Amino acid sequence: MSIRFIRFISSRWTRLVLVASVLMGFQTTLLNDMRPFGVMAQVMVLFAACAGVIYGAEIGVVAGLIIGLMYDCVLTTPLGLASLVLGATGFIAGAFPYFVRESSWWNKAIAVAVASAVGEILFPVAQALVGLGGWVQWRIFVVAAVVALINMVLAPLLLPIVRWTLKETLIG
Amino acid sequence: MSAISAKRKRAIALLSLTSIIFITLDLQGSASTSVLRGTFGVFFRPIEGVARVITRPVSNAWYGITHYNAVTQENDLLREKIAQQEGAAVAAAASVRLSQELLALNGLPTLAGINSVSAQVIGDSPSNFSQNVEINQGSDSGVKVGMPVMNAAGLVGKITKVFPRRSIVMLITDPEYALSVKVINNPEAASPIIDPEASVPPSSTSTTTTTIPQPQPTSNIPGFTPGTTTLPLTTINVPVSIPSLTPTLTVPNNGALPIRETGILEGRGPSRVPIVRFIDSAQRFGTILPGAPIVTSGGSLSLAPPDIVVGTVSKVTDRLGTSGPILEINLVADLANLSFVRILLYQPITEQVKP
Repeated sequence: MSIRFIRFISSRWTRLVLVASVLMGFQTTLLNDMRPFGVMAQVMVLFAACAGVIYGAEIGVVAGLIIGLMYDCVLTTPLGLASLVLGATGFIAGAFPYFVRESSWWNKAIAVAVASAVGEILFPVAQALVGLGGWVQWRIFVVAAVVALINMVLAPLLLPIVRWTLKETLIG
Repeated sequence: MSAISAKRKRAIALLSLTSIIFITLDLQGSASTSVLRGTFGVFFRPIEGVARVITRPVSNAWYGITHYNAVTQENDLLREKIAQQEGAAVAAAASVRLSQELLALNGLPTLAGINSVSAQVIGDSPSNFSQNVEINQGSDSGVKVGMPVMNAAGLVGKITKVFPRRSIVMLITDPEYALSVKVINNPEAASPIIDPEASVPPSSTSTTTTTIPQPQPTSNIPGFTPGTTTLPLTTINVPVSIPSLTPTLTVPNNGALPIRETGILEGRGPSRVPIVRFIDSAQRFGTILPGAPIVTSGGSLSLAPPDIVVGTVSKVTDRLGTSGPILEINLVADLANLSFVRILLYQPITEQVKP
């Protein structure tokens, strides 16, 4: 029983939930107040993209779906929408290891920026698909560009955190 | 390795399916999603509170760097505006009171008869694609879904989600928001209506000269100079009718009264101003000019009680045929800087949950 509990506690998915809760705290406070060019930085999208870039598509999708579901609980869009969008973002970012064999920090940052931009565009598109129209405007490209730029700058800081969070096990 | 991959694929399928089921339930208005959000909020609020305390100095520094010039300019402008408006507010308050008394006398609904709850804005939506704010009053204070929210300037939005001690307000600028409004148009050159049967010609007419003296400043409000709003010394020629002894009938000059037409206000996101559509292009209504006030229309099916100020017309785009013009609206409430709001405890019939 205790071994099971220790395994559960040391599992990457438990760590993911805890780390994502802290990041979401920053998302709803600090990043909500600081809006360069009127656009909010999206650290949850950044996390999903980093997970995909480091650990590939499968881990990226699962991480994106889980943190997306948590993010959905503080958003006003239908529950589950951000989950699918962040899952897709993790999947897109997960394509990066297939194309680049020996990656450096800067091309990972670029991959994170591209995946973040696509993920940010997917948000209004997904909203339109479930009938919440009106958000598919030219502005989404500006938003995507700013989010990509911010995430490219933040990626070198978050990549080690994501690597530690999603490490297979911390014991044994 | 393949076993792990199959396990992950099952997890992906399960999570995706869960998300789709949640979307379906939420769009159907299921209470289970609200319960899930509420439960998550219980665990997440303390984390958010700690994060807010830790990051407040950084947020303040950011505001200081990015908004310093704007804030000082705004302060100067606001001081000047306060001085101008203190005097006008006294006169306006008297007019509002008179209007409310008149409406109450005639048994018409007024805003004064609707209870309200004050609330503080405690957060924005953490998304680039929704226009919501969170306030610190909920169902414990009698707040219900659909209730209109306003601030000191005018209408702000409506309640869309209610929790025991907090609520979510959808702002007017959200593309999902739509509201029935009235455009109050002042006719440009109102011609008097002459009723030949009703009006009795005066027995004699003469012209007299009336001098309106410039009133002396009487305000004792600090910072207010009433000189800017007083009438100058004017000499006008007023035709004075001396009525005959026969009974006369006075016909009110309708052409000089403001004319109202209803339309639908729609939000268009943060980067574009809201618009009003479906305004009738009636001849009597005349040409709508920028600056015409927009107020809520009220009515049994409306989302808000009548006569809450929404904004003014900033641009008129005419359309061919009978489709009527499209009006762009300057909102009176500054939605970017909301601090305190008032929730009118008025739940529209369309938002009431049937038992």
